[in-house]
Amino acid sequence: MKYGWVAVLLLLFAGTGTYVWSHGSQVEPPDLGDGLRGQLVLTGSSTVAPLAGEIAKRFESLHPRVRIDVQTGGSSRGIADARRGTADIGMASRALKPKESDLVHHTIALDGISIILHRDNPATALTDPQIVAIYTGQIANWNQVGGPDAPITVVNKAEGRSTLELFLHHFKLKNQDIHASIVIGDNQQGILTIASDPYAIGYVSIGTASYEVSRGTKIRMLPMKGIEPSLDNVRNGTFPLSRPLNLLTHGEVSELAAAFIAFAQSPQVHDLVEAQYFVPIDQ
Amino acid sequence: MVWQPGRTDWPDRTVTVVVWLTALTVTGVFLWIVGDVLRHGLSGLSWGFLIEGPRDTGRAGGIGPMIVSTLLVLGVCLAVSVPIGVGTAVWLAEFARGGGLFGRLVRWSLDVLAGVPSIVFGLFGNALFCIYLGMGFSILSGGLTLACMVLPLLIRSCEAGLRAVPDDYRKAATALGLSRSAVLWRILLPAATPGLVVGLVLGIGRALGETAALLFTSGYVDRMPGSLMDSGRTLSVHIYDLAMNVPGGQNRAYATAIVLISLLLIVNVLTSHLADRWLHRRITRT
Repeated sequence: MKYGWVAVLLLLFAGTGTYVWSHGSQVEPPDLGDGLRGQLVLTGSSTVAPLAGEIAKRFESLHPRVRIDVQTGGSSRGIADARRGTADIGMASRALKPKESDLVHHTIALDGISIILHRDNPATALTDPQIVAIYTGQIANWNQVGGPDAPITVVNKAEGRSTLELFLHHFKLKNQDIHASIVIGDNQQGILTIASDPYAIGYVSIGTASYEVSRGTKIRMLPMKGIEPSLDNVRNGTFPLSRPLNLLTHGEVSELAAAFIAFAQSPQVHDLVEAQYFVPIDQ
Repeated sequence: MVWQPGRTDWPDRTVTVVVWLTALTVTGVFLWIVGDVLRHGLSGLSWGFLIEGPRDTGRAGGIGPMIVSTLLVLGVCLAVSVPIGVGTAVWLAEFARGGGLFGRLVRWSLDVLAGVPSIVFGLFGNALFCIYLGMGFSILSGGLTLACMVLPLLIRSCEAGLRAVPDDYRKAATALGLSRSAVLWRILLPAATPGLVVGLVLGIGRALGETAALLFTSGYVDRMPGSLMDSGRTLSVHIYDLAMNVPGGQNRAYATAIVLISLLLIVNVLTSHLADRWLHRRITRT
């Protein structure tokens, strides 16, 4: 019994090792006649990564000799990696800027951004100038915009997030002008923050927000310039605050990468796009 | 403490109450966390959840590949860090006792390294292992990065363990004419086991809970790893992704957290028992 524990630990590791080994040395799957084989690496936006991962899985199941590794790290990283060649395809949840014109973008879906409040907040609509005034600290109390007498909790996104860039761009603001009470990273975190503070205001992805509203989370989406924030309005282009989810390539594109991009833009993945609460694009 | 009527010893009693309260608070916070995780996650646990691969970005299916990746990353990390860590600790405690310039430099750099935020290790690991050494996003890169991260913890606590061994042991061994390696192997290391175990437990905890450093090194791929050169998503990275990037991933994140906590407990218990039976008993029994 002296070496019982040693045996247990060794078994644990040996078991894992054998499992991995036996799975790694599988016979190469049959070629389905399309000739596609090889490996692709995608890096970039954490908003696009879960969707890209699902698309990659479906692509792999259709082309068994292909392996696609999806990594994350943010839109800026996707752009840098695509340029440097560390990734075959970059991912960015925003449109390319003029100084990034060396890259080619391939839009696979759209996403909108909605201003959200706590469900019990009586404010029904805010104009663009009001939103600007709230975010720059000129309006600091809800009673200045027809709400209760309570200070406004301004929730802003962290630097480097493409939602922040889109928000600033739309309202022609600079991040240093914003007087934020709370700075958050991801959509989910934003929703949790606002659902727990009746006097908070923030902005998150429409897809995520609609899903949370349907689940009964205590948030409410505000219309922008009278247009309801909904996936339909993002799809028909009337909603003012929307962004493309892009795959990015730099220079010459391999046959495999081109095939994957074409697949990611095809109707074959519309159900996956919708399952992530984004808007598919019609080619 | 016995309450005696007539003697109002209020400073003593205040201290007692405060000390009890702090202990209760710590226990309360621990129970609250565990209770919260269990309440949200227990319904998502099943045998299939433990062995299947994830579907629909983790909102369906299971976490089998993540468990395997986590164990592999941890295995690489320990296989590299334990020998180097114990070696350095022995050198520090037995060969560079008095200090000396180099000894002080090593200790100082270890203390600085122990306080470096994990994201810095992640960027370093990404630059060195993934890009410069060409390992790419792989379990190997992740394990090696974690090894760099836990080494300071391991070395410092193992060194403390060795220093706690009474000098009488060393003197008696010298008097008996034992060789330096025999003293080390048969007396000092077994006697220093408790320190080593503390270092291991802390190191394993830090390694299993790591997200930031692994996102850039072992990566995000949720496929069952085929070799150490494959990218593999660990449990912590999976929890982070479910909680932050996937709408509706909350409950699955909690269920994964239960698995992570259980894994941590199992690995810790195994490590302590292993070290105890293997090393410590050699001096307490014989």
